[in-house]
Amino acid sequence: MKNYSKVIQNIARAMLRAGLVDEVVAFGRDSPASDIIPLFITDERDVEKIVTVSYYPCSLAQLVALYGDKNKRIGMIVRPCDARAMVELAKRRQVNLDNFYIIGIECYGVLRTRNKNEEIYIFPNEMEIDGELKTLDEGILSPNCRRCEYPIPTMADVSCRIEPNGESSVTANTEKGRAVLAAANISSQQSPSDRTAIKERAARWQEKDFGELKKMNRDERLKYWLNQLDKCIKCYGCRDSCPLCYCEVCNLCPEKPLIQGGEIPPERLFHITRLMHVGDSCCNCGQCEAACPMGIPLSRLYHMLYKELSSIFGYESGLNVNSLPPISSINEEDLVKTGVDLG
Amino acid sequence: MNISKGQAFEPKILGFLCNWCSYAGADLAGVSRFQYPPNIRVIRVMCSAKVNPTYVMKALLDGVDGVFIGGCHIGDCHYAMGNYYTRRRVIMLKKVLEIMGIEPERLRLEWVSASEGIIFAEVMKDFTQVIKNLGPNPLKSRR
Repeated sequence: MKNYSKVIQNIARAMLRAGLVDEVVAFGRDSPASDIIPLFITDERDVEKIVTVSYYPCSLAQLVALYGDKNKRIGMIVRPCDARAMVELAKRRQVNLDNFYIIGIECYGVLRTRNKNEEIYIFPNEMEIDGELKTLDEGILSPNCRRCEYPIPTMADVSCRIEPNGESSVTANTEKGRAVLAAANISSQQSPSDRTAIKERAARWQEKDFGELKKMNRDERLKYWLNQLDKCIKCYGCRDSCPLCYCEVCNLCPEKPLIQGGEIPPERLFHITRLMHVGDSCCNCGQCEAACPMGIPLSRLYHMLYKELSSIFGYESGLNVNSLPPISSINEEDLVKTGVDLG
Repeated sequence: MNISKGQAFEPKILGFLCNWCSYAGADLAGVSRFQYPPNIRVIRVMCSAKVNPTYVMKALLDGVDGVFIGGCHIGDCHYAMGNYYTRRRVIMLKKVLEIMGIEPERLRLEWVSASEGIIFAEVMKDFTQVIKNLGPNPLKSRR
């Protein structure tokens, strides 16, 4: 089996050794028998623990926003959806991007669930299972990943591409990224990153997932969503796993007057509120759906609203720290339009 | 409201009217004795941007047949920018309704100034007719 983690281990080690960062946040194994868990690494000997597998247990962006030391410089080794979540959190003043060195790994999907017995790596067209290269079976991917259009972390400081043959190419996207690569003594390559194939896959799955709902008539659609939402056991898993749900005092808590406490299933407003809070800049990381014990297709709901709003407002979440979320900001064009819609 | 056989459907409409324009417009409609259907229940808010999207969804999920939001014309907002935000929120809300399978026509945003009593009456007549044509809120029977 090839060592796919080598390049990110090298970058993490270089960042720690050069003193660019105080700690590195990445997924890894604490011991050989340990599962994949988030690690906060301060000692460069521990970078050997960092691994890359096609499984993403939680959002690192949310972890650093909640528990990261605000005075420390942190290096992060993340997937594009988490890099986008970091940009969205920076817009909401939850993190200061100056303190972060974000190393993005190109990602073509993660698994729905992890099978502990086998190692699976996903590449654009292939997957490696226990050292054997096979054609990618899209069925094993998480549903949100199949709809993802952003496999390349252009919003991160450094983007790494790992090839099925174990080789890697690294691109610096920002000044900080160039500093990291200089410290790691790796030359930046303008990777010929081609998004057309992945966009085609995303369009196909979006058409399948959203198209089948849009084809239903209104009553069927309402019935479908009410049935789904009524499965809820109010575990707050979707809220707690969402990188964009950052409020310290949450409106959905029973102490707040919005949602009646002690009711299962909760009012439908529970999910609708969350939908309206994060729907305009959902980064489609799929953590809500992965966390849901009742199997509610939440990322389908959020991503569907995001795509609709994205086409209306021309907003793409998580790409540019200067473009603000469309529901909580207005732009120059709004000022000259007088109607009740922006058409 | 229970609909028994033979009785015409009378919708319940919740109205959020901004204190500075639409509420005064509605007041003018009353003072001027313009006739309009009595289906609207008004909540006065200081600005149309005070209307949290959650309020609208809560009303609709609890079985109100239509929600009306009235604000000042663009450029006339008492708080300078409130109605720009309302406009964007209503666009989002209509998409949420569409995705969930509720008719987006059940939500209506209009700019009504304090001098437009007649327009308020016209809008109320029109909106009530739209809701009557749509029929009762499908969520009412699914509580």
